[in-house]
Amino acid sequence: MSGDGCVAIASDTRLGQQYQTIAMDVPRMFKMHDRLFLGLTGLYTDTQTLYNLFKFKLSMYKMREGREISPETFANLVSSTLYEKRFGPYFTEPIVVGLDKDNKPYLCGMDLLGALACEPDFVTLGTSTEMLLGACETFYRENMNEDQLFEVVSQTLMMATDRDCLSGWGGVVHIISKEGITTKTIKTRQD
Amino acid sequence: MESMSERSGGFSFDNVARNHVLEEKGMKMPKAAKTGTTIVGVVYKDGVVLGADTRATSETTVFEKYCEKIHYIAPNIYCCGAGTAADTEHTTAMIASKLELHRLDTGRQSRVTTCLTMLKRHLFQYQGHVSAALVLGGVDLHGPHLYTVYPHGSTDALPFVTMGSGSLAAMAVFESKYKDDMTLEEGKQIVYEAISAGIYNDMGSGGNVNLCVITKDKTEMLKGYAKENMRPWRKSTPYTFPKTEVLTSKIDKPRTDISVVVESEKMEVSAS
Amino acid sequence: MNIDLSEALDTKYGRSGLSCEVGPDAVELGEEHVLTIPNVPRPDKFLSDSFKGQEAEVLKFAHGTTTLAFVFKHGIIAAVDSRASMGVYIGSGTVKKIIEINPFLLGTMAGGAADCSFWERDLGRQCRLFELRNKERISVAAASKLLVNSVSRFRGMGLSMGTMIMGWDKTGPALFYVDNDGTRLKGNLFSVGSGSTFAMGVLDIGYKYDLSVEEACELGRRSIYHATHRDGASGGIINIYHVGEDGWTKISSEDSAQKHYQYKAESTEQASAPMVTS
Repeated sequence: MSGDGCVAIASDTRLGQQYQTIAMDVPRMFKMHDRLFLGLTGLYTDTQTLYNLFKFKLSMYKMREGREISPETFANLVSSTLYEKRFGPYFTEPIVVGLDKDNKPYLCGMDLLGALACEPDFVTLGTSTEMLLGACETFYRENMNEDQLFEVVSQTLMMATDRDCLSGWGGVVHIISKEGITTKTIKTRQD
Repeated sequence: MESMSERSGGFSFDNVARNHVLEEKGMKMPKAAKTGTTIVGVVYKDGVVLGADTRATSETTVFEKYCEKIHYIAPNIYCCGAGTAADTEHTTAMIASKLELHRLDTGRQSRVTTCLTMLKRHLFQYQGHVSAALVLGGVDLHGPHLYTVYPHGSTDALPFVTMGSGSLAAMAVFESKYKDDMTLEEGKQIVYEAISAGIYNDMGSGGNVNLCVITKDKTEMLKGYAKENMRPWRKSTPYTFPKTEVLTSKIDKPRTDISVVVESEKMEVSAS
Repeated sequence: MNIDLSEALDTKYGRSGLSCEVGPDAVELGEEHVLTIPNVPRPDKFLSDSFKGQEAEVLKFAHGTTTLAFVFKHGIIAAVDSRASMGVYIGSGTVKKIIEINPFLLGTMAGGAADCSFWERDLGRQCRLFELRNKERISVAAASKLLVNSVSRFRGMGLSMGTMIMGWDKTGPALFYVDNDGTRLKGNLFSVGSGSTFAMGVLDIGYKYDLSVEEACELGRRSIYHATHRDGASGGIINIYHVGEDGWTKISSEDSAQKHYQYKAESTEQASAPMVTS
């Protein structure tokens, strides 16, 4: 979700096999560099595979170009990587979130084939997408500051996960701004 | 380590067998986003008008309310896409990039028919599994052209065309109101009416009307030509919550000891 | 019950024009006409064919559950969660899964919420009639048998019910497990539902016949809490009932989320306390 000169990405921390909760400390968000995060929902093995793949690709990019990748370029990289596997996709729906060179928020969601959906306000993906979407539509405001953004994002996350059997068990919120990345873990229900 | 080596392009089928097994074991596959669309095109006196709605869906959920379905192919050619969102986006982007290289090679304006042939060959090769239903329009040295391309690779050349789930509603408008040699205003109006018919009568279509007018000399994208379905209101004041209980909090400052160059350089395209 | 089905019969069973016995063999058991059975030769097959593919949505509301009950020195403890799930969506977080059949009988609810609540209400009616006819309270054994007879009539037709019937009668505390397959088991300790394995793990470790009422309640509570924690389909409020000589009493109703942080605080307190060597 975007704010004024800042952008937030949040996820729950459950890892489960069907209805059985395996672990409760597994956020699905990865820091790609100081101003860029990648969220990978879905099958965890693919989350790990893709994270390692993108880490590798970004290292190569940085070495070749001598600079960090911009969020938009990275989103396109993720998109084409997924589309390459059009007929045998990774079971993951990624979110790319970051700040561009003018500190403007950039957020973009994708389906498992890599169809980009870039939105100015918020993107939701995962098992409770629909519920998150409803809460975001209601609580999102333009130009929120970091604190307001944190409150809206964390409350939205909790509202959705409390109605979903397969998510919850803790939450993590990252807020990216030009001053740095603020990471907060939030107290949530544990059932 | 396929991923670590350079790939030469094309689809990779690495995961197919694995996914087949997972699906057999009962894993629910996430659904791909579809455009669920109304896209149309019409030839008028001086060129082509393309039109599209702005809704992308994932099953019954609106995945994106204001997406862009009129894709760039070349400065004088644009293409509306319906079907699986990823397929339309990537197929058009791939053709656009091939045509760009072709232009750099030949130094000539791209022809619509070149694009059409490339598209139909690609789609036919994949026997309809790349599910992109397209409306291709452009103006080149032979004048205005308008085509539809079906997912299996067949094509039509017609003065007015519609595609996507709202195509019937849109076609009804064209069938009743189309006439030869329309003016620009008439052309835009009939496309607007056709897309609106799709937006209001087809569940899969919605949002705004986007237009693209291509003439011999210039191309004009009219994003949000009609914005009849914007969100009507949003509560002006924020909601207040009981403060979220924070368990841990830490701040990562960006490293300042290294400088990062963020401006991008222009890609070198001249031969010298 | 002989009915001429020459007109009504669907030809797909290849039996058209035949007059035949309606219903499965168990049709004589239980009370008739509580629920109508489709008038076809193989109602079980007919019903499972009709709902093929939609069982998850249509027939299995509130499938995920953790319920448990055990007999101990001072009676019986029943403990349940309160989540009703429809697929992965949480339909309600405050469902009453212990059904108060009468002041001496309790039933728990797992499987289809509608099936459980309907048949246990029907059981209440039958128990009351028994009392009026016989001038004494029904035994738990008899009550559970009435229930199993009722659901046996519909075996294979899509009922979904896994319940524990418990109470206090002339013989003392008694606990029975009854399900839609027609199973009826007497026992001292049961746990039913998707979270039952988790609950059973805790329950088995802590269970002793000689527990005090407080200890037994806490054991039930802990078992349910651990199940709500690990099982996605269980959660919400933890309800505890105690069945004693004078009938049942409701002991507590607590939010499992609050319990989590309470238990966590208690365990860190214990861990930080100095170790005492004996």
